[in-house]
Amino acid sequence: MSWALIAGGSKGIGYAVSEALGRRGYDILLVARDGQALAAAKSKLESHMPVRVETFAADLSLPASAGDIANWCRDNAFDLNILCHVAGMGGAKDYLRLPVSELNRMVSVNFVSPMSLTLSMLPMLQKNAPSFILNTASLAGFAPFPFKNVYSATKSAVLFFSYSLRNQLREKNISVSCLCPGPVFTKPAIEDETRKKLGWFGSQMAIEAGALGEMAVRQMMNGRMIIVPGRLSFLVSVLLRLLPAGILARVLSEKPTANLTDTI
Amino acid sequence: MKKLVLLFLLAFRGWVGFSQSDTGSSLPAASGGSYALVAGGSKGIGYGIAEALAKRGYNLILIARHLDTLQAAKKKLESAHPIHVDILAIDLSFEKSADEIAKWCKDRDIHLKVLCNVAGLGGSKDYLSFPLDSLRYMVRLNIESCMALSLTLMPLLEKNAPSYILNVASMAGFAPIPVKNLYSATKSAVVFFSYSLRYQLKDKHISVSCLCPGPVFTKPEIVKDTKQKLGWFGMKMALDPGTVGEVAVKKTLKKKLIIVPGGLAKISAFVIRLLPRRWVVALYGRAGKKKK
Repeated sequence: MSWALIAGGSKGIGYAVSEALGRRGYDILLVARDGQALAAAKSKLESHMPVRVETFAADLSLPASAGDIANWCRDNAFDLNILCHVAGMGGAKDYLRLPVSELNRMVSVNFVSPMSLTLSMLPMLQKNAPSFILNTASLAGFAPFPFKNVYSATKSAVLFFSYSLRNQLREKNISVSCLCPGPVFTKPAIEDETRKKLGWFGSQMAIEAGALGEMAVRQMMNGRMIIVPGRLSFLVSVLLRLLPAGILARVLSEKPTANLTDTI
Repeated sequence: MKKLVLLFLLAFRGWVGFSQSDTGSSLPAASGGSYALVAGGSKGIGYGIAEALAKRGYNLILIARHLDTLQAAKKKLESAHPIHVDILAIDLSFEKSADEIAKWCKDRDIHLKVLCNVAGLGGSKDYLSFPLDSLRYMVRLNIESCMALSLTLMPLLEKNAPSYILNVASMAGFAPIPVKNLYSATKSAVVFFSYSLRYQLKDKHISVSCLCPGPVFTKPEIVKDTKQKLGWFGMKMALDPGTVGEVAVKKTLKKKLIIVPGGLAKISAFVIRLLPRRWVVALYGRAGKKKK
């Protein structure tokens, strides 16, 4: 059976994506920064699924990582045909509240890393076609969210990159998808915050990580370009895409809804 | 019924997009001693912007990588306008550059009123035909330098408010262009950044604008590339950097958010933003495959 690589796969959405792929019989390559979290994810996956799991600890914000990961795959003959980039950085602090170095790190993890890793893995994906690439953006990639300024900008870049890449790789039989979730309950803190700040609507829109991973993998395998899990999130995404960016930015920058941007 | 609703929403979107121009109090000419900083101001659109600012009496700080082009620009600007031009040869792709520039301005207590982030990298080589290092350089120059410089110069701009930030994106920032994959993605980040920043800085009386030009004939290669890929329509849409700079500065000082110079480019931008993205990507994809 073939391998699937999940960058940022030790926790949260990435782990859920790994689980969904494991359920479909793929052997799993996990890449993340924290060696301990990787080991925990590996033992958890192997305990309830008949899959092989290999791990590689790498800081995806570093320029050398993409090449290191590609070499690791080549050296161990992990012939993969699925590449999922789920690692990302964001939070309540963004532009005007973070130093330049942290902002640059956000650009590196969210945008430069998927772009570099995809380029480094392309020869292998091409050899094993039909293959699949899954990038992770966010609902915040559809419209500028002033309180998540740089996060939103990097996610828009991921979305643009995915659109173009899909067009570029179609003839090579590599399908590119982009996951754009709303609030996801990956940590108890996010659950509390969403309930508190978005109330009923937020809780309805939010999705649990396991369900999200399953949906993401199913739709990726179906060759879908934009994946927005959950009916309510999808509806919100349609509005975000349809309304003019200027109006959205203005509305989203006003105080009451500013809370909303903290959770997405 | 569904189609009708969609049509209505699209029409609404279009109308808002066009009518959305803040015409606040205009501040066309600089009062004595006001400075404008143009990052990437020695050539092309940056020089066009510098010239338009000089015409309005702003003293200039030009930043670029090469000292010789900077010196040539300084000489040309100072001989034609009664202003003072400072030049700094700095590579904007380094993380520490923004801090260095801010320190330089602070030490001299520059009365900074206008910041223009024009430096950028793009061309016929992009994702799949460009080495990874060059792609990363593109991200650093197009996104990171623009974000960093706006952040480090914010205290000065705030002190001298009302002030202006002009970021240069491109029409490629409105919809993904497959052959210009990374360029287009970085420019969309600049567009998003500008939208967000405008609302973040509204209370501080710093107006943020974003220039999104179509083809601009800054180099002979661009003329060739435009003719080849966009044909007659592209040639009609293209502008020279002087015109682009003049329009950009005029609209920036009028506090307009999105600036698309040229009538045909404006219409194209309108259509690009109106149509579903996958259609535009497909259209661009087909145009990009045209060889000679």
